[in-house]
Amino acid sequence: MSGQASNAGRSIDRRSFLGTAAGTAALAADMTVLDGLKNPLLAGEVKRQQKHVILLWLAGGASQLETWDPKPGRPTGGPFRPIKTDVPGIEICELLPKMAQRMKTTAVIRSLNTGIGDHGGGASLMETGRRKEPGLQFPDLGAISARELGRADSQVPDYVSMYSSTEGRRKGTSGFLGSRFAPMFLSDSLVPANIHRLDALSDLDHRERNDLRQLIASRFSRQRQSQAVGSQLNAYQRVRGIMASEKLFDIEQEPESARARYGPKQFGQQCLIARRLCEAGVPFVKVARAWWDSHGQNFETHRELCADLDHSMSTLLDDLQERGMLERTLVVTLAEFGRTPNINPSLGRDHFARAWSMSLSGCGIKGGTVYGKTDADGQHVADGQANAGDVFATIFQALGIDYHKEYHLGSRPIPLVDFGAKPIKPVLA
Amino acid sequence: MNADPSAFKKNKEFSCPGILFSMARTPETGRLFYGSSDFKVYEFDTAVEKPAPVAFQPQEQQQGHQSYVTGVALAAGQLVTGSYDGKLIWWDLEQRHVVRQLDAHEKWIRNVIASPDGKMVCSVGDDMQCKVWDAATGEVRHVLQGHQAETPHHYPSMLYANAFSPDGKWLATGDKVGHIVVWNLADGKPAGALEAPGMYTWDPKQRRHSIGGIRSLAFSHDSKFLAAGGIGKIGNIDHLGGPTRVEIFEWQTGKRVHLLEDDKQKGLVEQMEFHPSGQWLLAAGGDHAGYVKFYNTADGKIIHQEKTPMHVHGFEFNEAYDTVYGVGHGKVAVWELKAAPAKDEPAKDEPKPDAAEKPAAKGA
Repeated sequence: MSGQASNAGRSIDRRSFLGTAAGTAALAADMTVLDGLKNPLLAGEVKRQQKHVILLWLAGGASQLETWDPKPGRPTGGPFRPIKTDVPGIEICELLPKMAQRMKTTAVIRSLNTGIGDHGGGASLMETGRRKEPGLQFPDLGAISARELGRADSQVPDYVSMYSSTEGRRKGTSGFLGSRFAPMFLSDSLVPANIHRLDALSDLDHRERNDLRQLIASRFSRQRQSQAVGSQLNAYQRVRGIMASEKLFDIEQEPESARARYGPKQFGQQCLIARRLCEAGVPFVKVARAWWDSHGQNFETHRELCADLDHSMSTLLDDLQERGMLERTLVVTLAEFGRTPNINPSLGRDHFARAWSMSLSGCGIKGGTVYGKTDADGQHVADGQANAGDVFATIFQALGIDYHKEYHLGSRPIPLVDFGAKPIKPVLA
Repeated sequence: MNADPSAFKKNKEFSCPGILFSMARTPETGRLFYGSSDFKVYEFDTAVEKPAPVAFQPQEQQQGHQSYVTGVALAAGQLVTGSYDGKLIWWDLEQRHVVRQLDAHEKWIRNVIASPDGKMVCSVGDDMQCKVWDAATGEVRHVLQGHQAETPHHYPSMLYANAFSPDGKWLATGDKVGHIVVWNLADGKPAGALEAPGMYTWDPKQRRHSIGGIRSLAFSHDSKFLAAGGIGKIGNIDHLGGPTRVEIFEWQTGKRVHLLEDDKQKGLVEQMEFHPSGQWLLAAGGDHAGYVKFYNTADGKIIHQEKTPMHVHGFEFNEAYDTVYGVGHGKVAVWELKAAPAKDEPAKDEPKPDAAEKPAAKGA
């Protein structure tokens, strides 16, 4: 089923964009040359129009107690201590010392009650913002963001998803929005596979074939008014841009100092790629860091994984800020659920969807805020209960996307967010 | 000493709140001291009819531990405890008050032990340092550094285990990636190094983090052999569902004489001790459940193994080696392994029973 949502918003964006900066847009769309962004006119145009999301997906379920909602001194609290942050009155777990110094950019929601405690169901819920419905494939956050934030004429991918570990690997789905908004998915390599021109085909041959195809297609489309034909043309127009986007994934293009800053670990390198992609105009990038499913040895596991998260996320936020990109880039940490306050005999924590946490940094977010509260042992939400739909409404509001908007599947309206969902206003700028 | 591992049976079991990570015992008694997940230290007398934990009480607010208490040792007439808060605390045993409190390590303290003569205390921590302290004065005698701060995969390593040799000459330390150093206590210099990389599982593909490490060390009573305990390779590192793993080295030659892996009872080997005869070794630990395993040190076979009511974090034998006191997840337990009284010697002209008629050792 292809996306039948109204294209009004996109048409206006495209018209205004092409009308005001056609030449620069064409250059921007061909993001094979990052240097193009040094052109002030182009940079200004891109800045005005483009917002981005980098989703740090903590696959397997990170513990809220070892990240954003510590419970010091309680039987459920574990061994880690809370630390003060750069925002008076806000404390987070000592495993995130670098993020503690960047809380002014970040809002924490401590009161998620999402109700699904299995990996598949929880991931589906938090990816799409709603429970599954028979016969209907909802698009995930990446696909909706790509649809709402991407430019129709963009030649870079609209949605890139990186998930290197095999456990719990999920590609993401564009659902009823169709393949146009499906993720470019990277699993085994940091560089996308199968986007090279075949060696047997010269660049000239490739261009000439494309020209011929365009000629025939334009004659064909002149006599027809069809969305399918338009979509086909659009897909082909994107091919050379996608083929040339390989360089965006090549961190060797970055100065050594930038690479050193992100560090030698894969998650850091993927965060650097995410920054490069956003800088080049990709609206949505998901970086999955698996696997946090610490049924045994929760504290040892979180010492490793939180060190990874703390360094990579804080470096990413700094980098975005220094480049003037943070105000238009939303960085989200989210998972399928959190972990039980109770500590099991293997010194592990199990699945827990009743009272857990997430973070939002950057674009549209009121940094230095904490929303919601759990009880003393973290067993229940004590204040400000929020669900998956509320998270989506909040993200859309932060990005300037009208969360009241509806897609239409035939005559059936499908709202962007689940029924009754509302943005969590205290975390919004 | 009349201990028989195949006679091992539970004698007492007590529920105690929290996770009991470490213990020490007053000689010749059933009076235990344990460190808990509630950041406190308790006295617990297993000999009385209805024992109850009695907490040690810091006199001042800034005293006491601020995290899990993971090391407990009796030395120089005092109790020395170490915690994930990096502090070592000397306690008066009768008043249960703080005598001395030191910022001993920059990261978690994983274990605290006393030397055989009780004159030294040794702590190991995730700052990858091993520190030897004068038990009476609290002065540092040695700071021993022989372990890498990071794993080969760029994550923080951990220094879990330490053990004094019974002759008091050597000290062994073991870390997360399976590196072992034996130190000469006379000069504080390395006397040997061993590798047990099978204790460390790095999953590069499915889950991209690690699990394992050397969790326990024990010298034989002749100080000739060193046993390292942990967990073998794990397929699914979400859980502790891997085989228990013990490696026994003739440490001065570096020769590994036994690799003992078993998955009937799974999980970490949290503590070990050799019988003074050298004939067997007790290992205890667990995953969601707990276990004890007696290994024959001659052939490496299991003499006896048994589930325990809790994941065992620490244990200690009595002086006769026929009683074991243990602490773990929410429990204190006492087990006995007293050999049955010997039957009368058969008359000279009576045939001796052949081996087939002897009761088989359980789990052998």
